[in-house]
Amino acid sequence: MAEATPPGLGAARPSRRLLATGLALVGILVVVAGAARWLTRYDPDAIVVASYRGPVAPGGDHLLGTDTLGRDVWARLAYGAQTSLFVGSLAMGVSLAIGLTTGLAAGYFGGVTDGALMWVVDLVLTMPSLLLLIVLATVLPPSILTIPLVIGAIGWTTFARTVRGEVLTLRERDYVTAARALGASHGRIIFRHLLPGVLPGVLVLAALGMSGAIVVDAGLSYLGLGVPLPTPSWGRMVSDAQTYIAVAPWLVVAPGAAIAVAVVGFNLVGYGLIDLVGRQT
Amino acid sequence: MIGYVLRRILRASTTLLGTTLIIFVLVRVVPADPAVSIAGPKADPETLAAIRKDLGLDDPLAVQYGRYLWGLAHADLGRSYMTGRRVADVIAERVPATALLAGTSLALGFFVGLVVGIGTAARRGSAIDLAVLLGTLVGLSIPTFWLGHLLVYAFGYRLHLLPLGGFGTLRHLILPAATLGTLHFFFYARFVHTTVGGTLASDYIRTARAKGSSPLRLYFVHALRNALIPIVTLLGLDIAALMSGVVLTETVFNWPGLGRLAVQAVFNLDIPLVAGTVLFSAVLVLAANLTVDLLYGVIDPRVQRG
Repeated sequence: MAEATPPGLGAARPSRRLLATGLALVGILVVVAGAARWLTRYDPDAIVVASYRGPVAPGGDHLLGTDTLGRDVWARLAYGAQTSLFVGSLAMGVSLAIGLTTGLAAGYFGGVTDGALMWVVDLVLTMPSLLLLIVLATVLPPSILTIPLVIGAIGWTTFARTVRGEVLTLRERDYVTAARALGASHGRIIFRHLLPGVLPGVLVLAALGMSGAIVVDAGLSYLGLGVPLPTPSWGRMVSDAQTYIAVAPWLVVAPGAAIAVAVVGFNLVGYGLIDLVGRQT
Repeated sequence: MIGYVLRRILRASTTLLGTTLIIFVLVRVVPADPAVSIAGPKADPETLAAIRKDLGLDDPLAVQYGRYLWGLAHADLGRSYMTGRRVADVIAERVPATALLAGTSLALGFFVGLVVGIGTAARRGSAIDLAVLLGTLVGLSIPTFWLGHLLVYAFGYRLHLLPLGGFGTLRHLILPAATLGTLHFFFYARFVHTTVGGTLASDYIRTARAKGSSPLRLYFVHALRNALIPIVTLLGLDIAALMSGVVLTETVFNWPGLGRLAVQAVFNLDIPLVAGTVLFSAVLVLAANLTVDLLYGVIDPRVQRG
């Protein structure tokens, strides 16, 4: 199967400003997640308004209103940031570990190893990822660890392909030939000489991988298969509120906007980094 | 050419075999007892044992996998645990609705994206490039299901123009197709903008322009033809991504297609139905990729020799 370059790669653009904007958005997200307990006086799971009154509109005591059970939306949103960041980074870390190992091995050893590993990559790419995730999320015991592990275990193919591609060019460089001539072991060549060369590209993928994992997690939560209750999650907030959209649209708008902001933030960081990384090499 | 075609077909076949193995393993690790999901939790042990024997669940795994493959070779995907109907029939019933939704949204997104991508690439400059990049970046970051609900709120609840969900008339198709199509639109607009933009900078375009080629001919014939390979590749890969969007969009709009069927089957632990839908979409993706690979030979004859 043919390689596809991620869309938009290679175009000239004011990358520093993109990176700065992205970092600012991600920074806000991290601060909200980290300082959630000081940013709201409500417990995200506590019913703070009698629910028979219906959802309270945004404003006053409740910045973003309350949901159908009478819980504070801003509190759930802020604590939901913790969930999103946790799931996103763990999933991305798992993808990174699998993809980096696979890509380094396939690119460096070539031949049969490469053929076999790339066949596995093709196989994973062929499977309908969301359906596979749904099956795995249903079959495995639900926990806050299962979801990111499963997302990571399916999303590593881009890492593997990109790293392999970079290793293929790096291993022909003179300094690698020199190291080999000096009798360096495979392990030494891979970890001391090839790994540092692929890291800048991996940084870009890590940022884009974060946004991808957050999107997938949101989709799973929306289908009711994300991190188990009562942990607040943005996707779940949208699905819980969908039947009340006519009377309480803010219940759907707020968590969806939070997902979009998080995804835009990490994407901006990724695309901002592409040029900075490319300029060095 | 024949060697190239054969190599591609062989590769697709081995991938397909791998796919069946993954699905089989996945289905076998499901901790829920199929006999219980058929007979219900109150069934007595004898009934359960009889059902297990009937389904061949006591046989060695290799035998079960062999039987699974044998069935697939005869277009037999098994029977649904819930309804007892043939999985192949159930899937065939749902294909038209999904094909309608996926086809409409892909066609809309692809062609509008193509036109916008070429249009913006033609007026290339830092401001337009940045606008396209930022616009598509934000557009692609909007969660599909959220966009769906926002559209329902605006056009269904507020303006009372379109139905809130369901299936039947052309009016039912507009919102789901718009939701799924938006995603594709941003995807292709960005990609076409970048690839055609890159092609427009090359020497042969300058030559064509110097020879007095009309702008339309320049963009849609000369530049597009060379940018076609990456675009077609993306279209092939996109089929896999399309399936995820289909699952979410069908859930939002209560659209009676394959995506909702798959989600319901998973929740019901209707294993043959789950395995059937997963395999069906994997085969679709494989077929799309194979078509793309073979199309290369037509678009760019150099590929065959590579």
